[in-house]
Amino acid sequence: MITSLRRIRAIAGTTLIELARLRVFYVLVLFALVLIVSSTFLARISFQQELQVTKDISLGAINFFLSLLAIVATAQLLPRDIEDRVVYSVLAKPVPRFEYILGKFLGVVGLLAISLAAMSVLCLVVLHLREQSALHEVNRQIEQLAPDQLSSTVRVIHTAGVNRDLIAALVLVLAKSAILAATTLCISAFATSNIFTITAMAMVYLIGHLESIAREYWLQEHVAGWPKRTFLALVAFIFPDLQAFNLSDQVIGGVPIPAHLIEQLLGLAAFYIVSYILLATAIFYQREL
Amino acid sequence: MTHTAIHISRVTKVYRTPFRRQATVALRDLNLEIAPGEVYGLLGPNGSGKSTTLKIILGLISPTRGSVTIFGRDNSVVAARREIGFLPENAYFHKFLTGAETLRFHAKLCGLSKSKTTARINELLAAVGLTDAGDARLSTYSKGMLQRIGLAQALIHDPKLLVLDEPTAGVDPAGSRDIQELIASLKNRGTTVLLSSHLLTQVQEVCDRVGILHRGRLMREGQLQSLLGIENQTELILENASPDLLDGLEQQIASTSARLIVRRKPQASLEQLFLKVTESTEE
Ligand SMILES: Nc1ncnc2c1ncn2[C@@H]1O[C@H](COP(=O)(O)OP(=O)(O)O)[C@@H](O)[C@H]1O
Ligand SMILES: [Mg+2]
Repeated sequence: MITSLRRIRAIAGTTLIELARLRVFYVLVLFALVLIVSSTFLARISFQQELQVTKDISLGAINFFLSLLAIVATAQLLPRDIEDRVVYSVLAKPVPRFEYILGKFLGVVGLLAISLAAMSVLCLVVLHLREQSALHEVNRQIEQLAPDQLSSTVRVIHTAGVNRDLIAALVLVLAKSAILAATTLCISAFATSNIFTITAMAMVYLIGHLESIAREYWLQEHVAGWPKRTFLALVAFIFPDLQAFNLSDQVIGGVPIPAHLIEQLLGLAAFYIVSYILLATAIFYQREL
Repeated sequence: MTHTAIHISRVTKVYRTPFRRQATVALRDLNLEIAPGEVYGLLGPNGSGKSTTLKIILGLISPTRGSVTIFGRDNSVVAARREIGFLPENAYFHKFLTGAETLRFHAKLCGLSKSKTTARINELLAAVGLTDAGDARLSTYSKGMLQRIGLAQALIHDPKLLVLDEPTAGVDPAGSRDIQELIASLKNRGTTVLLSSHLLTQVQEVCDRVGILHRGRLMREGQLQSLLGIENQTELILENASPDLLDGLEQQIASTSARLIVRRKPQASLEQLFLKVTESTEE
Protein backbone atom coordinates (compact mmCIF):
# COMPACT_ATOMS: atom_id res chain seq x y z
CA MET A 1 0.00 0.00 0.00
CA ILE A 2 1.47 3.30 -1.06
CA THR A 3 1.39 5.98 1.59
CA SER A 4 -0.93 8.77 0.63
CA LEU A 5 0.00 12.32 1.52
CA ARG A 6 -3.56 13.40 0.92
CA ARG A 7 -4.90 11.01 3.55
CA ILE A 8 -2.25 12.05 6.08
CA ARG A 9 -3.03 15.70 5.37
CA ALA A 10 -6.75 15.09 5.86
CA ILE A 11 -6.14 13.45 9.25
CA ALA A 12 -3.61 16.11 10.30
CA GLY A 13 -5.93 18.94 9.23
CA THR A 14 -8.89 17.51 11.12
CA THR A 15 -6.69 16.97 14.18
CA LEU A 16 -5.55 20.58 14.01
CA ILE A 17 -9.17 21.79 13.89
CA GLU A 18 -9.97 19.56 16.85
CA LEU A 19 -7.02 20.89 18.87
CA ALA A 20 -7.63 24.52 17.99
CA ARG A 21 -11.02 24.13 19.67
CA LEU A 22 -9.40 23.12 22.96
CA ARG A 23 -9.70 25.76 25.63
CA VAL A 24 -6.40 24.76 27.23
CA PHE A 25 -4.65 25.90 24.06
CA TYR A 26 -5.88 29.48 24.42
CA VAL A 27 -5.27 29.57 28.15
CA LEU A 28 -1.67 28.45 27.75
CA VAL A 29 -0.85 30.74 24.87
CA LEU A 30 -2.51 33.69 26.59
CA PHE A 31 -0.62 33.00 29.79
CA ALA A 32 2.68 32.92 27.93
CA LEU A 33 1.86 36.17 26.13
CA VAL A 34 1.08 37.89 29.44
CA LEU A 35 4.38 36.69 30.87
CA ILE A 36 6.35 37.94 27.88
CA VAL A 37 4.77 41.39 28.01
CA SER A 38 5.07 41.70 31.78
CA SER A 39 8.76 40.83 31.65
CA THR A 40 9.38 44.25 30.14
CA PHE A 41 8.26 45.93 33.34
CA LEU A 42 10.96 44.21 35.36
CA ALA A 43 14.59 45.12 35.95
CA ARG A 44 15.76 48.41 34.54
CA ILE A 45 19.33 48.36 35.79
CA SER A 46 21.03 48.50 32.41
CA PHE A 47 19.94 48.16 28.78
CA GLN A 48 21.76 44.88 28.53
CA GLN A 49 20.20 43.41 31.64
CA GLU A 50 16.79 44.63 30.68
CA LEU A 51 16.99 42.87 27.32
CA GLN A 52 18.45 39.77 28.94
CA VAL A 53 15.69 39.50 31.51
CA THR A 54 13.03 39.90 28.83
CA LYS A 55 14.71 37.17 26.79
CA ASP A 56 15.13 34.88 29.77
CA ILE A 57 11.51 35.11 30.85
CA SER A 58 10.16 34.92 27.28
CA LEU A 59 12.23 31.91 26.30
CA GLY A 60 11.43 30.18 29.58
CA ALA A 61 7.71 30.82 29.18
CA ILE A 62 7.64 29.72 25.54
CA ASN A 63 9.67 26.62 26.37
CA PHE A 64 7.51 25.56 29.28
CA PHE A 65 4.13 26.30 27.75
CA LEU A 66 4.93 24.66 24.44
CA SER A 67 6.07 21.50 26.25
CA LEU A 68 2.95 21.49 28.38
CA LEU A 69 0.76 22.05 25.34
CA ALA A 70 2.50 19.20 23.46
CA ILE A 71 1.76 16.77 26.29
CA VAL A 72 -1.77 17.87 27.19
CA ALA A 73 -2.99 18.22 23.60
CA THR A 74 -1.56 14.89 22.44
CA ALA A 75 -2.61 12.83 25.46
CA GLN A 76 -6.32 12.98 24.70
CA LEU A 77 -6.21 12.49 20.91
CA LEU A 78 -6.35 8.70 20.67
CA PRO A 79 -8.63 8.11 23.70
CA ARG A 80 -11.15 10.58 22.34
CA ASP A 81 -11.15 9.06 18.87
CA ILE A 82 -11.69 5.62 20.37
CA GLU A 83 -14.48 6.87 22.61
CA ASP A 84 -16.30 8.60 19.76
CA ARG A 85 -15.69 5.61 17.46
CA VAL A 86 -13.94 7.91 15.00
CA VAL A 87 -11.07 5.47 14.91
CA TYR A 88 -13.37 2.73 13.59
CA SER A 89 -14.78 4.70 10.70
CA VAL A 90 -11.31 6.02 9.81
CA LEU A 91 -9.47 2.70 10.00
CA ALA A 92 -12.31 0.89 8.22
CA LYS A 93 -11.35 3.03 5.22
CA PRO A 94 -8.19 2.07 3.32
CA VAL A 95 -6.05 3.92 5.88
CA PRO A 96 -2.98 2.14 7.30
CA ARG A 97 -2.58 2.70 11.02
CA PHE A 98 0.81 4.30 10.41
CA GLU A 99 -0.85 7.09 8.43
CA TYR A 100 -3.39 7.59 11.16
CA ILE A 101 -0.69 7.97 13.84
CA LEU A 102 1.46 10.18 11.62
CA GLY A 103 -1.54 12.37 10.76
CA LYS A 104 -2.34 12.83 14.45
CA PHE A 105 1.28 13.73 15.17
CA LEU A 106 1.49 16.24 12.33
CA GLY A 107 -1.75 17.85 13.52
CA VAL A 108 -0.17 18.42 16.94
CA VAL A 109 3.02 19.77 15.36
CA GLY A 110 0.86 22.18 13.38
CA LEU A 111 -0.74 23.42 16.58
CA LEU A 112 2.65 23.74 18.28
CA ALA A 113 4.08 25.64 15.32
CA ILE A 114 1.17 28.08 15.31
CA SER A 115 1.42 28.64 19.07
CA LEU A 116 5.18 29.06 18.86
CA ALA A 117 4.78 31.54 16.02
CA ALA A 118 2.28 33.60 18.02
CA MET A 119 4.46 33.66 21.13
CA SER A 120 7.69 34.24 19.19
CA VAL A 121 6.31 37.14 17.20
CA LEU A 122 5.28 38.89 20.39
CA CYS A 123 8.60 38.12 22.05
CA LEU A 124 10.58 39.40 19.06
CA VAL A 125 8.46 42.55 18.76
CA VAL A 126 8.88 43.32 22.45
CA LEU A 127 12.63 42.74 22.26
CA HIS A 128 12.98 44.79 19.12
CA LEU A 129 11.14 47.75 20.63
CA ARG A 130 13.30 47.56 23.77
CA GLU A 131 16.41 47.38 21.63
CA GLN A 132 15.39 50.39 19.58
CA SER A 133 14.66 52.49 22.63
CA ALA A 134 17.99 51.42 24.14
CA LEU A 135 19.85 52.49 20.99
CA HIS A 136 17.90 55.71 20.96
CA GLU A 137 18.96 56.36 24.53
CA VAL A 138 22.60 55.71 23.65
CA ASN A 139 22.38 58.16 20.77
CA ARG A 140 21.17 60.84 23.17
CA GLN A 141 24.07 60.24 25.53
CA ILE A 142 26.49 60.14 22.63
CA GLU A 143 28.47 63.20 23.67
CA GLN A 144 29.47 61.72 27.00
CA LEU A 145 30.86 58.50 25.50
CA ALA A 146 34.23 57.82 23.95
CA PRO A 147 34.01 56.36 20.39
CA ASP A 148 35.24 52.87 21.36
CA GLN A 149 32.97 52.86 24.37
CA LEU A 150 30.08 53.76 22.09
CA SER A 151 30.68 50.95 19.62
CA SER A 152 31.05 48.35 22.38
CA THR A 153 27.80 49.51 24.01
CA VAL A 154 25.98 49.20 20.70
CA ARG A 155 27.46 45.76 20.18
CA VAL A 156 26.34 44.64 23.64
CA ILE A 157 22.84 45.86 22.92
CA HIS A 158 22.76 44.00 19.61
CA THR A 159 23.88 40.70 21.13
CA ALA A 160 21.37 41.12 23.92
CA GLY A 161 18.59 41.93 21.46
CA VAL A 162 17.09 40.09 18.52
CA ASN A 163 19.60 37.94 16.65
CA ARG A 164 19.98 34.71 14.73
CA ASP A 165 20.76 32.61 17.80
CA LEU A 166 17.49 33.62 19.38
CA ILE A 167 15.63 32.29 16.33
CA ALA A 168 17.66 29.06 16.48
CA ALA A 169 16.77 28.66 20.14
CA LEU A 170 13.07 29.07 19.30
CA VAL A 171 13.28 26.44 16.55
CA LEU A 172 14.88 24.04 19.02
CA VAL A 173 12.02 24.66 21.43
CA LEU A 174 9.69 23.42 18.69
CA ALA A 175 11.88 20.38 18.08
CA LYS A 176 11.82 19.54 21.77
CA SER A 177 8.06 19.82 22.08
CA ALA A 178 7.65 17.70 18.94
CA ILE A 179 9.70 14.98 20.66
CA LEU A 180 7.41 15.28 23.67
CA ALA A 181 4.34 14.99 21.40
CA ALA A 182 5.69 11.84 19.73
CA THR A 183 6.48 10.31 23.13
CA THR A 184 3.02 11.19 24.44
CA LEU A 185 1.41 9.60 21.38
CA CYS A 186 3.42 6.47 22.02
CA ILE A 187 2.33 6.22 25.66
CA SER A 188 -1.30 7.04 24.89
CA ALA A 189 -1.34 4.21 22.32
CA PHE A 190 -1.35 1.68 25.16
CA ALA A 191 -2.51 3.75 28.15
CA THR A 192 -5.98 3.11 29.49
CA SER A 193 -6.47 6.61 30.87
CA ASN A 194 -5.36 10.18 30.21
CA ILE A 195 -4.15 10.55 33.78
CA PHE A 196 -1.70 7.70 33.23
CA THR A 197 -0.39 9.26 30.02
CA ILE A 198 0.09 12.68 31.57
CA THR A 199 1.72 11.28 34.72
CA ALA A 200 4.08 9.15 32.67
CA MET A 201 4.93 12.16 30.52
CA ALA A 202 5.63 14.28 33.60
CA MET A 203 8.24 11.65 34.49
CA VAL A 204 9.70 11.61 30.98
CA TYR A 205 9.90 15.40 31.16
CA LEU A 206 11.69 15.35 34.51
CA ILE A 207 14.10 12.57 33.57
CA GLY A 208 14.78 14.29 30.26
CA HIS A 209 15.76 17.48 32.04
CA LEU A 210 17.74 15.88 34.84
CA GLU A 211 19.66 13.24 32.95
CA SER A 212 22.45 15.52 31.78
CA ILE A 213 23.05 16.69 35.35
CA ALA A 214 22.93 13.11 36.59
CA ARG A 215 25.32 12.03 33.87
CA GLU A 216 27.86 14.68 34.78
CA TYR A 217 27.63 13.78 38.42
CA TRP A 218 28.08 10.08 37.78
CA LEU A 219 30.89 10.62 35.34
CA GLN A 220 32.76 12.58 37.96
CA GLU A 221 32.15 9.90 40.55
CA HIS A 222 33.44 7.27 38.09
CA VAL A 223 30.54 4.90 38.48
CA ALA A 224 32.02 1.44 38.73
CA GLY A 225 30.76 -1.74 37.13
CA TRP A 226 29.10 -2.34 33.79
CA PRO A 227 25.55 -2.96 35.13
CA LYS A 228 25.29 0.63 36.33
CA ARG A 229 26.89 1.96 33.18
CA THR A 230 24.58 -0.07 30.96
CA PHE A 231 21.59 1.07 32.95
CA LEU A 232 22.60 4.71 32.62
CA ALA A 233 23.27 4.30 28.92
CA LEU A 234 19.86 2.69 28.48
CA VAL A 235 18.08 5.47 30.35
CA ALA A 236 19.95 8.05 28.32
CA PHE A 237 18.98 6.25 25.13
CA ILE A 238 15.28 5.76 25.88
CA PHE A 239 14.68 9.18 27.37
CA PRO A 240 15.75 12.00 25.12
CA ASP A 241 18.06 14.52 26.80
CA LEU A 242 15.57 17.39 26.74
CA GLN A 243 17.84 19.79 28.58
CA ALA A 244 20.22 19.71 25.60
CA PHE A 245 17.59 21.51 23.55
CA ASN A 246 17.50 24.39 25.98
CA LEU A 247 19.91 26.97 24.63
CA SER A 248 18.57 29.94 26.58
CA ASP A 249 21.77 30.24 28.70
CA GLN A 250 23.89 30.70 25.61
CA VAL A 251 21.36 33.02 24.00
CA ILE A 252 21.08 35.20 27.08
CA GLY A 253 24.79 35.17 27.80
CA GLY A 254 25.48 36.16 24.20
CA VAL A 255 27.62 33.04 23.61
CA PRO A 256 27.45 32.31 19.87
CA ILE A 257 25.78 28.96 19.10
CA PRO A 258 27.80 26.93 16.57
CA ALA A 259 25.81 25.83 13.52
CA HIS A 260 26.91 22.21 13.90
CA LEU A 261 25.38 22.06 17.37
CA ILE A 262 22.02 23.13 15.98
CA GLU A 263 22.29 20.56 13.19
CA GLN A 264 23.19 17.84 15.69
CA LEU A 265 20.27 18.67 17.92
CA LEU A 266 17.82 18.72 15.00
CA GLY A 267 19.18 15.34 13.89
CA LEU A 268 18.75 13.98 17.39
CA ALA A 269 15.18 15.29 17.51
CA ALA A 270 14.40 13.67 14.14
CA PHE A 271 15.82 10.37 15.39
CA TYR A 272 13.66 10.36 18.52
CA ILE A 273 10.54 11.51 16.68
CA VAL A 274 10.83 8.82 13.99
CA SER A 275 11.58 6.14 16.60
CA TYR A 276 8.67 7.08 18.83
CA ILE A 277 6.21 7.38 15.93
CA LEU A 278 7.22 3.92 14.69
CA LEU A 279 6.93 2.54 18.20
CA ALA A 280 3.51 4.18 18.63
CA THR A 281 2.37 2.59 15.35
CA ALA A 282 3.63 -0.83 16.42
CA ILE A 283 1.79 -0.55 19.75
CA PHE A 284 -1.34 0.69 18.02
CA TYR A 285 -1.31 -2.31 15.65
CA GLN A 286 -1.44 -4.63 18.64
CA ARG A 287 -4.26 -2.80 20.31
CA GLU A 288 -7.72 -4.35 20.45
CA LEU A 289 -9.95 -1.51 19.30
CA MET B 1 -14.18 -17.13 -10.84
CA THR B 2 -16.68 -15.38 -8.61
CA HIS B 3 -15.81 -15.09 -4.94
CA THR B 4 -18.11 -15.04 -2.01
CA ALA B 5 -18.43 -11.54 -0.62
CA ILE B 6 -17.42 -12.55 2.90
CA HIS B 7 -15.99 -15.85 3.93
CA ILE B 8 -15.44 -16.43 7.64
CA SER B 9 -13.72 -19.67 8.39
CA ARG B 10 -13.56 -21.14 11.91
CA VAL B 11 -13.04 -17.83 13.66
CA THR B 12 -12.54 -17.83 17.40
CA LYS B 13 -11.96 -14.65 19.36
CA VAL B 14 -10.73 -14.58 22.92
CA TYR B 15 -10.44 -11.21 24.65
CA ARG B 16 -7.78 -11.15 27.31
CA THR B 17 -7.91 -8.23 29.68
CA PRO B 18 -4.52 -7.38 31.11
CA PHE B 19 -4.16 -7.84 34.89
CA ARG B 20 -7.26 -10.00 34.97
CA ARG B 21 -7.32 -13.73 35.11
CA GLN B 22 -10.39 -14.67 33.17
CA ALA B 23 -10.63 -14.24 29.42
CA THR B 24 -13.84 -13.64 27.46
CA VAL B 25 -14.54 -15.97 24.59
CA ALA B 26 -16.51 -13.66 22.31
CA LEU B 27 -16.70 -16.00 19.28
CA ARG B 28 -16.38 -19.76 19.06
CA ASP B 29 -15.57 -21.45 15.79
CA LEU B 30 -17.70 -19.16 13.67
CA ASN B 31 -18.28 -20.05 10.03
CA LEU B 32 -20.15 -17.65 7.81
CA GLU B 33 -20.48 -17.25 4.11
CA ILE B 34 -22.22 -14.32 2.47
CA ALA B 35 -22.88 -14.26 -1.26
CA PRO B 36 -22.43 -11.14 -3.41
CA GLY B 37 -25.62 -9.09 -3.54
CA GLU B 38 -27.07 -10.68 -0.45
CA VAL B 39 -28.50 -8.84 2.56
CA TYR B 40 -27.54 -10.77 5.67
CA GLY B 41 -28.79 -10.00 9.16
CA LEU B 42 -26.74 -11.03 12.16
CA LEU B 43 -29.11 -11.23 15.08
CA GLY B 44 -28.45 -11.80 18.73
CA PRO B 45 -28.80 -10.31 22.18
CA ASN B 46 -26.30 -7.80 23.60
CA GLY B 47 -22.90 -9.35 24.19
CA SER B 48 -23.48 -12.23 21.79
CA GLY B 49 -20.49 -11.27 19.64
CA LYS B 50 -22.06 -9.34 16.75
CA SER B 51 -19.79 -6.29 16.97
CA THR B 52 -16.78 -8.54 17.46
CA THR B 53 -17.66 -10.40 14.24
CA LEU B 54 -18.01 -7.19 12.26
CA LYS B 55 -14.79 -5.68 13.64
CA ILE B 56 -12.90 -8.84 12.73
CA ILE B 57 -14.28 -8.66 9.19
CA LEU B 58 -12.99 -5.10 8.91
CA GLY B 59 -9.61 -6.00 10.33
CA LEU B 60 -10.07 -3.64 13.30
CA ILE B 61 -9.29 -6.53 15.61
CA SER B 62 -7.59 -9.76 14.71
CA PRO B 63 -9.13 -13.18 15.39
CA THR B 64 -7.44 -15.48 17.89
CA ARG B 65 -7.88 -18.33 15.39
CA GLY B 66 -9.38 -18.65 11.92
CA SER B 67 -9.40 -16.52 8.80
CA VAL B 68 -11.55 -14.06 6.90
CA THR B 69 -11.58 -13.23 3.22
CA ILE B 70 -13.45 -10.41 1.50
CA PHE B 71 -14.11 -10.95 -2.20
CA GLY B 72 -11.40 -13.57 -2.12
CA ARG B 73 -8.79 -11.31 -0.52
CA ASP B 74 -7.37 -11.68 2.95
CA ASN B 75 -9.02 -9.00 5.06
CA SER B 76 -5.83 -7.90 6.82
CA VAL B 77 -4.65 -6.29 3.57
CA VAL B 78 -5.45 -2.59 3.76
CA ALA B 79 -6.52 -2.59 0.10
CA ALA B 80 -9.31 -5.07 0.89
CA ARG B 81 -11.04 -2.20 2.66
CA ARG B 82 -11.47 -0.24 -0.55
CA GLU B 83 -14.54 -2.35 -1.23
CA ILE B 84 -16.08 -1.99 2.24
CA GLY B 85 -18.14 0.68 3.90
CA PHE B 86 -18.61 0.47 7.66
CA LEU B 87 -21.03 2.05 10.08
CA PRO B 88 -19.72 1.52 13.63
CA GLU B 89 -22.04 0.98 16.56
CA ASN B 90 -22.98 4.20 18.41
CA ALA B 91 -20.59 6.29 16.33
CA TYR B 92 -20.34 10.00 17.07
CA PHE B 93 -17.65 10.95 14.55
CA HIS B 94 -15.93 14.31 14.94
CA LYS B 95 -18.54 16.44 16.70
CA PHE B 96 -16.90 19.68 15.60
CA LEU B 97 -17.31 19.00 11.88
CA THR B 98 -20.48 19.64 9.89
CA GLY B 99 -22.24 16.83 8.06
CA ALA B 100 -20.75 17.87 4.74
CA GLU B 101 -17.26 18.26 6.25
CA THR B 102 -17.51 14.79 7.75
CA LEU B 103 -18.27 13.35 4.32
CA ARG B 104 -15.45 15.37 2.74
CA PHE B 105 -13.01 14.07 5.35
CA HIS B 106 -13.97 10.47 4.63
CA ALA B 107 -13.89 11.09 0.88
CA LYS B 108 -10.25 12.19 1.23
CA LEU B 109 -9.47 9.06 3.24
CA CYS B 110 -10.88 6.97 0.40
CA GLY B 111 -8.88 8.87 -2.19
CA LEU B 112 -11.87 10.28 -4.03
CA SER B 113 -10.87 12.95 -6.52
CA LYS B 114 -11.68 16.53 -5.59
CA SER B 115 -13.86 17.05 -8.64
CA LYS B 116 -16.09 14.09 -7.82
CA THR B 117 -16.32 14.73 -4.09
CA THR B 118 -18.71 17.68 -3.96
CA ALA B 119 -21.26 16.04 -6.24
CA ARG B 120 -21.00 12.80 -4.29
CA ILE B 121 -21.52 14.62 -0.96
CA ASN B 122 -24.70 16.33 -2.20
CA GLU B 123 -25.97 13.09 -3.65
CA LEU B 124 -25.44 11.21 -0.37
CA LEU B 125 -26.85 13.98 1.83
CA ALA B 126 -29.98 13.81 -0.29
CA ALA B 127 -30.07 10.01 -0.18
CA VAL B 128 -30.05 9.96 3.63
CA GLY B 129 -32.34 12.99 3.95
CA LEU B 130 -29.82 15.39 5.46
CA THR B 131 -29.60 18.01 2.70
CA ASP B 132 -30.86 20.76 5.05
CA ALA B 133 -28.62 19.69 7.92
CA GLY B 134 -25.45 19.33 5.83
CA ASP B 135 -23.98 22.58 7.15
CA ALA B 136 -24.84 21.99 10.80
CA ARG B 137 -22.23 20.63 13.21
CA LEU B 138 -22.61 17.00 14.28
CA SER B 139 -22.77 18.15 17.91
CA THR B 140 -26.28 19.40 17.11
CA TYR B 141 -27.39 16.15 15.43
CA SER B 142 -29.92 13.76 16.94
CA LYS B 143 -29.16 10.06 17.25
CA GLY B 144 -31.13 9.33 14.09
CA MET B 145 -29.27 12.02 12.14
CA LEU B 146 -25.93 10.64 13.34
CA GLN B 147 -26.90 7.20 12.05
CA ARG B 148 -27.81 8.76 8.70
CA ILE B 149 -24.53 10.66 8.37
CA GLY B 150 -22.82 7.45 9.44
CA LEU B 151 -24.52 5.61 6.61
CA ALA B 152 -23.53 8.34 4.18
CA GLN B 153 -19.83 8.19 5.19
CA ALA B 154 -19.92 4.41 4.83
CA LEU B 155 -21.23 4.83 1.28
CA ILE B 156 -18.93 7.67 0.20
CA HIS B 157 -16.69 5.50 -2.01
CA ASP B 158 -19.60 3.46 -3.39
CA PRO B 159 -18.45 0.21 -1.76
CA LYS B 160 -19.45 -3.24 -2.98
CA LEU B 161 -19.93 -4.39 0.60
CA LEU B 162 -21.65 -2.48 3.35
CA VAL B 163 -21.22 -3.52 6.99
CA LEU B 164 -23.63 -1.92 9.44
CA ASP B 165 -23.44 -2.41 13.21
CA GLU B 166 -26.88 -1.84 14.72
CA PRO B 167 -27.98 0.66 12.07
CA THR B 168 -31.44 1.09 13.57
CA ALA B 169 -30.50 1.22 17.26
CA GLY B 170 -31.90 4.31 18.94
CA VAL B 171 -33.64 5.48 15.77
CA ASP B 172 -37.39 6.19 15.71
CA PRO B 173 -39.67 3.97 13.59
CA ALA B 174 -39.82 6.41 10.66
CA GLY B 175 -36.05 6.74 10.62
CA SER B 176 -35.66 3.00 10.91
CA ARG B 177 -37.98 2.51 7.95
CA ASP B 178 -35.97 5.02 5.91
CA ILE B 179 -32.80 3.12 6.70
CA GLN B 180 -34.45 -0.14 5.64
CA GLU B 181 -35.58 1.45 2.40
CA LEU B 182 -32.06 2.70 1.74
CA ILE B 183 -30.71 -0.80 2.31
CA ALA B 184 -33.34 -2.22 -0.03
CA SER B 185 -32.38 0.25 -2.77
CA LEU B 186 -28.69 -0.61 -2.32
CA LYS B 187 -29.57 -4.27 -2.63
CA ASN B 188 -31.32 -3.55 -5.91
CA ARG B 189 -28.07 -2.05 -7.17
CA GLY B 190 -26.18 -5.18 -6.25
CA THR B 191 -24.50 -4.05 -3.03
CA THR B 192 -23.85 -6.78 -0.48
CA VAL B 193 -25.04 -5.79 2.99
CA LEU B 194 -24.17 -7.33 6.33
CA LEU B 195 -25.98 -5.82 9.28
CA SER B 196 -26.32 -6.63 12.93
CA SER B 197 -29.24 -5.99 15.23
CA HIS B 198 -30.53 -7.04 18.60
CA LEU B 199 -34.08 -6.04 17.66
CA LEU B 200 -35.18 -8.75 15.30
CA THR B 201 -38.30 -7.13 13.89
CA GLN B 202 -36.45 -4.02 12.74
CA VAL B 203 -34.52 -5.86 10.10
CA GLN B 204 -36.63 -8.83 9.14
CA GLU B 205 -38.14 -7.11 6.12
CA VAL B 206 -34.85 -6.35 4.36
CA CYS B 207 -32.83 -9.45 5.10
CA ASP B 208 -32.51 -12.26 2.57
CA ARG B 209 -30.90 -14.41 5.20
CA VAL B 210 -30.34 -14.17 8.92
CA GLY B 211 -28.03 -15.85 11.37
CA ILE B 212 -28.74 -16.04 15.06
CA LEU B 213 -25.74 -15.57 17.30
CA HIS B 214 -25.79 -16.52 20.96
CA ARG B 215 -22.77 -16.41 23.27
CA GLY B 216 -20.41 -16.40 20.33
CA ARG B 217 -21.97 -19.35 18.52
CA LEU B 218 -24.05 -19.31 15.37
CA MET B 219 -27.16 -21.15 16.57
CA ARG B 220 -29.32 -21.03 13.47
CA GLU B 221 -28.98 -19.69 9.96
CA GLY B 222 -31.21 -19.50 6.90
CA GLN B 223 -33.88 -17.61 5.02
CA LEU B 224 -36.25 -15.86 7.35
CA GLN B 225 -39.35 -17.55 5.93
CA SER B 226 -37.98 -21.02 6.31
CA LEU B 227 -36.69 -20.23 9.80
CA LEU B 228 -39.94 -18.79 11.04
CA GLY B 229 -42.46 -20.80 8.99
CA ILE B 230 -44.27 -23.57 10.84
CA GLU B 231 -44.05 -26.50 8.45
CA ASN B 232 -47.51 -27.98 8.83
CA GLN B 233 -49.51 -24.75 9.11
CA THR B 234 -50.89 -22.29 6.54
CA GLU B 235 -52.20 -18.77 7.01
CA LEU B 236 -54.98 -17.29 4.83
CA ILE B 237 -55.68 -13.59 5.02
CA LEU B 238 -58.91 -12.54 3.30
CA GLU B 239 -60.29 -9.12 2.54
CA ASN B 240 -64.04 -8.36 2.45
CA ALA B 241 -64.99 -11.99 3.14
CA SER B 242 -68.63 -12.39 4.18
CA PRO B 243 -69.45 -14.27 7.40
CA ASP B 244 -71.28 -16.85 5.26
CA LEU B 245 -68.17 -17.60 3.24
CA LEU B 246 -66.10 -17.99 6.40
CA ASP B 247 -68.67 -20.29 8.00
CA GLY B 248 -68.78 -22.35 4.81
CA LEU B 249 -65.02 -22.66 4.82
CA GLU B 250 -65.02 -23.75 8.45
CA GLN B 251 -67.55 -26.46 7.72
CA GLN B 252 -65.54 -27.65 4.76
CA ILE B 253 -62.40 -27.83 6.90
CA ALA B 254 -64.21 -29.76 9.61
CA SER B 255 -65.07 -32.49 7.07
CA THR B 256 -61.36 -33.15 6.37
CA SER B 257 -58.43 -34.24 8.54
CA ALA B 258 -57.21 -30.60 8.78
CA ARG B 259 -57.85 -28.61 11.95
CA LEU B 260 -58.69 -24.90 12.18
CA ILE B 261 -56.52 -23.45 14.93
CA VAL B 262 -57.56 -19.79 14.98
CA ARG B 263 -60.00 -17.43 13.27
CA ARG B 264 -59.34 -13.76 13.98
CA LYS B 265 -58.76 -10.32 12.50
CA PRO B 266 -55.07 -9.67 11.77
CA GLN B 267 -53.67 -6.92 13.96
CA ALA B 268 -51.49 -4.09 12.87
CA SER B 269 -48.32 -3.74 14.95
CA LEU B 270 -47.95 -0.69 17.16
CA GLU B 271 -45.17 0.39 14.85
CA GLN B 272 -47.37 0.23 11.76
CA LEU B 273 -50.02 2.23 13.62
CA PHE B 274 -47.43 4.83 14.58
CA LEU B 275 -46.21 5.17 11.00
CA LYS B 276 -49.79 5.50 9.71
CA VAL B 277 -50.72 8.15 12.28
CA THR B 278 -47.59 10.25 11.82
CA GLU B 279 -47.78 10.02 8.05
CA SER B 280 -51.35 11.35 7.89
CA THR B 281 -50.45 14.38 10.00
CA GLU B 282 -47.42 15.15 7.86
CA GLU B 283 -49.43 15.74 4.71
N1 LIG C 1 -12.37 -4.94 23.92
C1 LIG C 1 -12.92 -5.92 24.64
N2 LIG C 1 -12.26 -6.45 25.69
C2 LIG C 1 -12.80 -7.45 26.43
N3 LIG C 1 -14.00 -8.00 26.19
C3 LIG C 1 -14.72 -7.53 25.16
C4 LIG C 1 -14.22 -6.47 24.33
N4 LIG C 1 -15.16 -6.20 23.37
C5 LIG C 1 -16.18 -7.06 23.60
N5 LIG C 1 -15.93 -7.86 24.66
C6 LIG C 1 -16.81 -8.94 25.16
O1 LIG C 1 -17.09 -9.81 24.09
C7 LIG C 1 -18.45 -10.23 24.12
C8 LIG C 1 -19.11 -9.89 22.79
O2 LIG C 1 -19.22 -8.50 22.67
P1 LIG C 1 -19.79 -7.77 21.37
O3 LIG C 1 -19.17 -8.38 20.18
O4 LIG C 1 -19.62 -6.31 21.56
O5 LIG C 1 -21.33 -8.17 21.43
P2 LIG C 1 -22.60 -7.52 20.71
O6 LIG C 1 -22.13 -6.58 19.67
O7 LIG C 1 -23.34 -8.68 20.15
O8 LIG C 1 -23.39 -6.83 21.76
C9 LIG C 1 -19.08 -9.54 25.31
O9 LIG C 1 -19.11 -10.46 26.37
C10 LIG C 1 -18.15 -8.40 25.62
O10 LIG C 1 -18.16 -8.13 26.98
MG1 LIG D 1 -22.55 -4.64 19.49
